[in-house]
Amino acid sequence: MTFRWSRWSPQLALLPAGLVTLVAFIGAILWTVYLSLTRSRRLPDYAIDWSEWGRQYQRLFNDDAWLISLQNLIVLGLGSALAIVFGFILAAMIDREKRGESIFRTVFLYPLAISLIVTGAAWRWIFNPELGAEHFIHSIGLTWVNASWLARPETAMYGVILASVWQSAGFYMALMLAGLKSINSEIWSAARLDGVGLFRLYTEIIIPMMKFTFVTCAILLSLGVIKAYDVIVAMTNGGPGQSTYVPAYFTIQALSAKGNLGFASAAAVLMLLITAVIFLPLVMLTAWQQQRHGAAK
Amino acid sequence: MNDLTMAQRALGADIAVRSAPYFPRKKKAITGRSVAVIVFLSICALFFCIPLYVVVVTSFKTMDQIREGTMFALPNIWTLEAWDHAWNSACSGTRCEGLKVGFWNSVFILVPSLILSIGLSIVTGYALALWNVKWAGPFLFILFICAFVPFQIIMFPLISMTATLKVYGSIWGVAIIHAVLAMPVLTLIFRNYYKDIPQEIMSAAVMDSGSFWKIFFEIVLPMSGNILIVVLILQITSIWNDYLIGVTFGGMGAQPMTVNLANLITISTGTVRYNDNMAAALLTAIPPLVIYFFVGKLFVQGITAGAIKG
Amino acid sequence: MPRVSFEHITKNYGLMKVLDDLNLSIDDGDFLVLLGPSGCGKTTLLNLLAGLLDVTDGRIMIGERDVTDLDPKDRGLAMVFQSYALYPTKTVHGNLKFGLSASKLPRDEIEQRITWAAKLLQIEPLLHRKPGQLSGGQRQRVAIGRALVKNVGVFLFDEPLSNLDAKLRTEMRLEIKKLHDQLKSTIVYVTHDQIEAMTMATKIAVMNGGVIQQFGTPDEIYERPANLFVAGFIGSPAMNLRKARLSLAGAKVEAVFGSGVRFDVSDYPFITPPQEGAEVIAGLRPEHFVLTANGPFAATFTVPVQYAERTGPDASAYFTFENDLLALRVEPDAAAKLTPGQSMTVSYLKGKANLFDARTGQRM
Repeated sequence: MTFRWSRWSPQLALLPAGLVTLVAFIGAILWTVYLSLTRSRRLPDYAIDWSEWGRQYQRLFNDDAWLISLQNLIVLGLGSALAIVFGFILAAMIDREKRGESIFRTVFLYPLAISLIVTGAAWRWIFNPELGAEHFIHSIGLTWVNASWLARPETAMYGVILASVWQSAGFYMALMLAGLKSINSEIWSAARLDGVGLFRLYTEIIIPMMKFTFVTCAILLSLGVIKAYDVIVAMTNGGPGQSTYVPAYFTIQALSAKGNLGFASAAAVLMLLITAVIFLPLVMLTAWQQQRHGAAK
Repeated sequence: MNDLTMAQRALGADIAVRSAPYFPRKKKAITGRSVAVIVFLSICALFFCIPLYVVVVTSFKTMDQIREGTMFALPNIWTLEAWDHAWNSACSGTRCEGLKVGFWNSVFILVPSLILSIGLSIVTGYALALWNVKWAGPFLFILFICAFVPFQIIMFPLISMTATLKVYGSIWGVAIIHAVLAMPVLTLIFRNYYKDIPQEIMSAAVMDSGSFWKIFFEIVLPMSGNILIVVLILQITSIWNDYLIGVTFGGMGAQPMTVNLANLITISTGTVRYNDNMAAALLTAIPPLVIYFFVGKLFVQGITAGAIKG
Repeated sequence: MPRVSFEHITKNYGLMKVLDDLNLSIDDGDFLVLLGPSGCGKTTLLNLLAGLLDVTDGRIMIGERDVTDLDPKDRGLAMVFQSYALYPTKTVHGNLKFGLSASKLPRDEIEQRITWAAKLLQIEPLLHRKPGQLSGGQRQRVAIGRALVKNVGVFLFDEPLSNLDAKLRTEMRLEIKKLHDQLKSTIVYVTHDQIEAMTMATKIAVMNGGVIQQFGTPDEIYERPANLFVAGFIGSPAMNLRKARLSLAGAKVEAVFGSGVRFDVSDYPFITPPQEGAEVIAGLRPEHFVLTANGPFAATFTVPVQYAERTGPDASAYFTFENDLLALRVEPDAAAKLTPGQSMTVSYLKGKANLFDARTGQRM
């Protein structure tokens, strides 16, 4: 084969992206994994004591803040799942009742356009213990209501969840709406002819038809929850105490505030593992879908 | 590489583009159920609007009125004092120069970040979709995985690398990191779009010119109008709204507006001026909100296509 | 001198062998049609020539040059695609101009060629329109124009007419034929439409299963199909193929059918001497039957009418023969008189039968 420049230009064009992938992703991940096995403090220390390579991980699971982080991850995940439910309800209503569709869509989606720092700032202000919503609620006589959630460790996570749901429900609504619209309109007519009630129609026909959309939403949500960082910074800064720590926040805190590189790396590796656990079903689902697709042909 | 298409579809990338067909509004009588649905939706809409309302009214209030604790009341006296203060002299950390510093940093970060991130991924997506390259399948798969990698796992190495390259703490450092982190997702978006260009057009172009770059600039780029706008909006909003990359790589000199805002609301020195905070929050939110209200449809397409960014 | 030649071409897709040791050479000025059903490898062969695919093994020559390892743009070819493949964002003028982008010509030469091609194809008024504003036929002309401006010796056409409606297709067929006569260029044209092949080609290569079944002029292909595949593929209604057995009696050779009908094939140009009792398949063209008994025919026999079809200027009649349908071309007037079930006397013209070896399927 003679040398052909035309064969090489596309390959060369891929070089930057290839390098980025190799260095900034693959290389960096391996680097962090390596660091997690060392005793690195503020600066990297590349000696590994193989007799206790798991030392950072051990420390991690002895660290209350990390355990709280994991717990909060689950709480946040379950709580934020409300956004999917809420999103579906909104989508179903908008889809059936066409009046005002574009206005409602616009309103439900706008939080997505703003920075989570702004979202956090707004909700932080609403939850302000002295001057916020609580003051207002008490002033209209409902003095038994406690609305300064962020000030108490037991309720602070709920505040974060509320803000997250507010921010992301519109997004899931948009995905659900797209899913609903891809359902053949004849199904609705058929159901009406058969006299199927609305509730049964949704639970027995529509939702099963949209399971793929639901799975998609669930995976996106999980990945979003693992990455949750900005909203914590803006709303609680992890507090009160360490009650709103999540892994993303914990890891960065360990690196930048505590300056504990090996420890932070171990936390990051665990974050990657959690992501992989969520990601794996997606890959399998995709493979399954493809297989089914292939079989259909 | 059909599996990637499927995976992307799994992530709603395709759904969004097909979404929102124009439905002619049916003229039908309002039934009781319709009323109930509209009432419910309106209450939800109210819930979505409350934070914005509170932020807006607070930003126009005086501190005196805020201290009364009437959060939902309209301002007694409408004043731009807080806005002026937030823009010009609010304290972010130890510096009290207002948000304008961060605003301009954000603008200066935005431009090179957009150029780098879109430039890198559009070429990569084009090469992967339309040219016969070795290992294209495995490479796409790796990119797909990279799109999900949490930032924390590559954070320290990236800090180290940017420090070695002497761009840490500069606008260029932030821009490079934006380009790096956006590359996998944007590449997949572009690749999925270009994959639909008919093979025969590429064959014709290869026979006519054969030049990778000439075909890109003369044939493919002019055909990318839609996707470019969608990606542009996606990138503008996500770069503008970014906090983590800015705070990590901006150092002292190149902190974007979101970092200023976060400092303003979390680090309190003396009495907290809530009206300043809210004005600052609004100032930060206005650019993406303007984009949203003007080109909402494209924004939604972008955000769903880039959903894997999380 | 051959203009284009394929030498021992092998092409694999993964483990699948699409073409195996294929040889073909095309003379200068020939209009070669690669004809075959879909999946027969004709488009693969064209793409190999264009350089859009790489050969697994073998050599492709254009003129004196070995182009096997050359880029498509350097092979001195122009191609017209099935979907026209016009650049949607460029005007017609831009489309034609981009066709010359690899050639590094001076600007006025480029303009001159565009003007020439536009004039030749009568697309001058369209030069500043975008492909989206053109009709199918106009797009087709532009696609041809984009090939013409390159001023090359060899043009490739990949089913260029299949997206046009019937009327336009006939028009463009003539037009391409005219262009070929005018420019005296070599054309390689891929199609599955035998009418296109028969009307335009100077040479046809019938392909099936990656193998060239027969290569020859349209008349050769039609009148002396090399094997059963070609016999069955070319012609509409298709050639009637029936099993028979040879019977030799002195100089007289006959093909005897199961029903006892005997065809005199003494004048058949056998390649190898006929064997008594050899199993053959007789190929009988529908148009070589006549509805009369008077004359020196190869055979005359009586069969029942099944039904008749009239297609305006033409008509076909179907008879029951050997438990199968026998297609005949008849005069429309005669067809009108046929009623199902009626027995008719039909005769077959002398010297027109085709005989194939029943075992190999090859022409005898």
